[in-house]
Amino acid sequence: MEYNKDLLFEKCQVLLKEAAKLGASQAEVRIGLRTTALTRLANSIIDQNVAERHANVRTIVYFGKQKGSTTVEILDDTSLKQAVADAVKVAKISPENKDFKSLPEKQTYDEIPLAELVSKNTINATPELRAEYATLAIDSAHAIDKRITAVAGAISHGLYEEAIQNSLGVEVYGAATGSNVNLTVLAEDGKEQTAGWSSDNRNDFTQLQIKTVAEKAAKKAADGFGMQYVDPGNYEVILEPAAVGGLMFFMSYFGFSAMMYQDYISFLRDKIGEKLFDEKLNLWDDGFDKRLVYRSFYDDEGYPKSKLDMITNGVAMNLAYDTLTADKDDVKSTGHNAKFRGRSMPFPGNLLIGEGNSNLDEMVAETKNGILITHFHYQNAVNPTKGIFTGLTRDGAWFVKDGEIQYPLRTLRYTDSVLRFFANIDLIGKYSDLNDTQAKVPPIKLPSLTISGSQKE
Amino acid sequence: MRDLTQIALETCSKEGASYADIRIVTITGEDIAIKRGNIESLNLRTTKGFGIRTIADGGLGFAGSYDITTNEIKRVAKLAVRIGKASGATRKKPIEFVDEKAVEDTYKTPFKKDPFSVPTEDKIEILVEADKRMREVNPDVIKMTQSDYRGHREDKIFASTEGAYITQQITFCGGGMACTAISPGTQPQRRSFPGSFRGNFSAEGYEYFESLNLLENVEKTAKEAIALTEAKACPTEKTTLLIDGHQLMLQIHESCGHPTELDRVLGTEAAFAGTSFMTPDLLGKLQYGSEHVNFVADSTSPTGLGTYGYDDEGVKARKVDLIREGLFVGYQSSRETAAIIGLEHSSSGMRADDPQKLPLVRMVNINLEPGDWKRDEIIADTKKGVLMSTNKSWSIDDKRLNFQFGTEIAWEIVNGEIGNIIKSPTYTAITPEFWGSMDAHSKDDWKLLGTPNCGKGQPGQVMYVGHGCGTARFHNIRVGVTKEATDTDGVQ
Repeated sequence: MEYNKDLLFEKCQVLLKEAAKLGASQAEVRIGLRTTALTRLANSIIDQNVAERHANVRTIVYFGKQKGSTTVEILDDTSLKQAVADAVKVAKISPENKDFKSLPEKQTYDEIPLAELVSKNTINATPELRAEYATLAIDSAHAIDKRITAVAGAISHGLYEEAIQNSLGVEVYGAATGSNVNLTVLAEDGKEQTAGWSSDNRNDFTQLQIKTVAEKAAKKAADGFGMQYVDPGNYEVILEPAAVGGLMFFMSYFGFSAMMYQDYISFLRDKIGEKLFDEKLNLWDDGFDKRLVYRSFYDDEGYPKSKLDMITNGVAMNLAYDTLTADKDDVKSTGHNAKFRGRSMPFPGNLLIGEGNSNLDEMVAETKNGILITHFHYQNAVNPTKGIFTGLTRDGAWFVKDGEIQYPLRTLRYTDSVLRFFANIDLIGKYSDLNDTQAKVPPIKLPSLTISGSQKE
Repeated sequence: MRDLTQIALETCSKEGASYADIRIVTITGEDIAIKRGNIESLNLRTTKGFGIRTIADGGLGFAGSYDITTNEIKRVAKLAVRIGKASGATRKKPIEFVDEKAVEDTYKTPFKKDPFSVPTEDKIEILVEADKRMREVNPDVIKMTQSDYRGHREDKIFASTEGAYITQQITFCGGGMACTAISPGTQPQRRSFPGSFRGNFSAEGYEYFESLNLLENVEKTAKEAIALTEAKACPTEKTTLLIDGHQLMLQIHESCGHPTELDRVLGTEAAFAGTSFMTPDLLGKLQYGSEHVNFVADSTSPTGLGTYGYDDEGVKARKVDLIREGLFVGYQSSRETAAIIGLEHSSSGMRADDPQKLPLVRMVNINLEPGDWKRDEIIADTKKGVLMSTNKSWSIDDKRLNFQFGTEIAWEIVNGEIGNIIKSPTYTAITPEFWGSMDAHSKDDWKLLGTPNCGKGQPGQVMYVGHGCGTARFHNIRVGVTKEATDTDGVQ
C-alpha cells in the first residue's frame, strides 16, 4: 500500500512552524487518518452497515506553563494554521499548569516493522466480503441447534495511520490494521431465551475465525436452557478469558495509572511494592509482544513504549507514567500516555497475564461449589479507592458442583474488591486460540468471588 | 451546501437507491478543566463531515467522510449504495419506513447569551476561583479539586430524496466542580456540584452556566466532602429510599430510557448494550410502576439536551407517552423500527453524535412527570429511611432489570427529618418492583437535568440526553450492598 507518512509529516510541520511563528515555547501535534467499516448483525440479517473516513488533528501549544489545544477534523493548510492560532489564543489566557516541566525530548525508537502491523487483506476488505462473512456467521450458528433464533454482533476492520511530532524533535509515524468479529447468539424454546457469546480479533481480516466464533457462541446459547437460581454468596468461580480481560481493564485503569494514583483514586495508593495478590498472578503491559493483536512502539505523546511489570508473583510493582505524571513524581515516563475522550493520562493498554498449565476442564473438575462465567456486562467501579467493582454475568454462566457442570444460571451480579478476590488464585490456564479480548489473558479459577445479587426469574 | 446535498442524493438515486438522505454537520466545542489549580484542559473542538444513508436492494447502507467536496461526496454516495446492496442480500424483507412529512424548515436552540461569544477568560475566572476556594475550605483535608466547563454546538443540514431540507443549530453548555477530602485513616470522599461527572448541562446559552452559581456553592460542597470522611457507613437493610434529581436522573436513564428504545427491544443492540424486558407483547399490558409513575419521551421540552426541531431522519420533534399511571404504553422509535411493530409514527428519536455516524434511536428528554408533593413534604412524611444524592457508580443488566447504583452522599431520615450523613451509599433492585414501590414524587424541585455521556452502538457513539425529575420515594429497597460484600465478606 501507499503509506501517507510523508503527507502526515508535512502537515505536522505546517502546524509546528505556525506554532513557532506565533511564539509558542513548545508544541506537540498529532494527525491521524482512519478508514473503518463495520457490518452489524441483528436477528440473523445485516441490520446496519457503515464506513467512515476520518482525519483528526490535535495541536497542543505551551507558552511557558500555559497550555492551549485544539482538535479539528480538517486537513487543508489554511484550516490547520487556524487551528494553531486558536490553540495559541486560548493558551495565552490559560492559567499555568505548575506540574508541567516540558514535552518529551527527541527520542529513538525500537520500531515494529510496518509489515507486522499492516495487513493488505484488511485494507482490501469490501462490503461484499463482510456480507459473505456475515452469512457464514449466521449459517454456522443456526446449524448448531434448531432453537437458535437470532445472530447478532459486528464484523469490522480498519486502517489507522498517525504521525506525532513536537517542537523538541519527537517525530514518529505508525500504521496498523485491525479487525474484529463479536457475536451474540440468541436461542428460544418457547419458555426461555438464552444467549451465547464469542469474539476474535486479528490483524488480517481474512484470518478472523468467523465460523469458530459463531459455533462457540451458538453452543453456549444451546447449552443455556434450564436456567436456575443460586443464592447470593461467596462461590468459587472459573473466569473464561473474556471475563478476566474485563476485570483487567478496570484494574489497569483505576489501579495502575499514575494519574489515578496522584489523584488519590487508585486502590494501590501507598501499596506499591506490597504482595497484594496471589503469587501465581503476573500482569504486565508490553506494546511489543507479538501475541497481542494491537501493538505499538510509542504512546500518544510520541514517547517510546517500554515493558511495564505491573504485578510480579503477586507483588504490585510499577505504575504506568506519561511525561506529566512522571515529572511530578521525579521518575521517567514509561511510555503510556493515552489521550481519549478529552483526557490525557497514563494508561497501560497492552496487557498480558502470564499463562499457567491448567485448562477449563481441569478447573471444572477441581470446583466443589462454583460458577463458570463467560464474561461480564456493565462493570463499574463502586469504590475505586478500595478496588471494589461490580458487574453482571452475561451470555452464559453455569453452576458447577463436585467437579461437574450442573445447570445454567440466570444473571448474577458480583460486587467485590480485587484486593480480596485476586489475593488467592487456584488455577491459571493457557491462552485461548481465539483473541477474545484485546488483552492476552488466560482463564483463571478463583476460590472466592462475592455474588451480591442473583436473578430469580 | 444545498448543491452538495443534491449531488449526493442524485448520485444515490442513479446508483439504484430507493431512498437516501445526507447530513452535513459541523460540531464545535469549548472544553475547560481546572484541576488542583492547574489547567488540565483548554481545548477547542471542530468536527466537520457528512454521512449518507441509503436504502438499496432493501438493505441499509451508510458511509461518511470528513472531506466535504464534490468528488468525495460522489465517492461516498456510491459506497453507501454499494454497502446498502450488500446488506440487502441478507434480508428476509426490505426495510420499510413509516410515513413522515418531508419539510423544509429551520430550527435554532433559543438562548440569551451565546456561549461561544462569551470570552473564554470569563469562564476560566469562575473555574479557577471555584477550584481555589474549595481547597481553601480546609487545605489539609481537601486534596483534590476540579472544575469544568463545556460548550457544544452542532450546525447541521439534513436533506432527503423525499424532499426534506432542514437546517438546525443545537447549542448546550454547562459545567460543575468536585472535590475530594482525604483524612488520615479514612477513605477519600468525593463531593460534586451540581452533579457528578463534570456537572450538569442544559440546552441554553451561557446564562445557564452562570445560573449554576458555582462560587456560592463552594463551601457547602467542600464541607460535605469533609463530613463524609467522618460519616458512618450506609446500613445494610431494606428500607424506604428517597432519591433526589441528581441520582434519579440516572435511575430513569438506565431503567426506563434504555429499555424503551425500540431498536434495542427489536434486537439491534443484542450483542452490545443488550436487549430489553419491555417487549412488544407487553405493550399496554405490563404494569411497569405504580399509579404515580408517568414517563414521557419529549424532544420538545424547553432547555432539554434531547430537544431539537427535527431528529436526524427529518422527523419533527414530539412528545410520546412511555409509561402512563404505571402502565407501559409506548416506545422511543425511528421510522424503521416504528414500521416493524406497526406504529403509525416514529417518536422522533433518531440522532447521531458525529457527522460520520449512523443515526440510532437515542433518548431525548425522558421525563418523570412531576407529582403532587413538595420535597419537604416527602421527607416529613417519612418516618425512617435514607435520602441519596449524586450518582457515583452504576451498573445494570443487559435486559435492564437488575440494577445497582452508588451515590456520593446520603442522609438518614428519622421521624420526618434529615439526620446524619451516610457515606458510600448503594442500593439495588429489580426495575418493575422498584418503580412499583414509588408512592411520591415532588414538583417543587423538579428540574430538566442533562448528561452528555450516554453510550450506545457499534461503532460506539456518545449522546447528550435530558431527564426531568424531582425527589421520589421508594419502599422496601435494599441498601448498603458494598458494606456486606467487602467489610464482612458476607452476601446480599
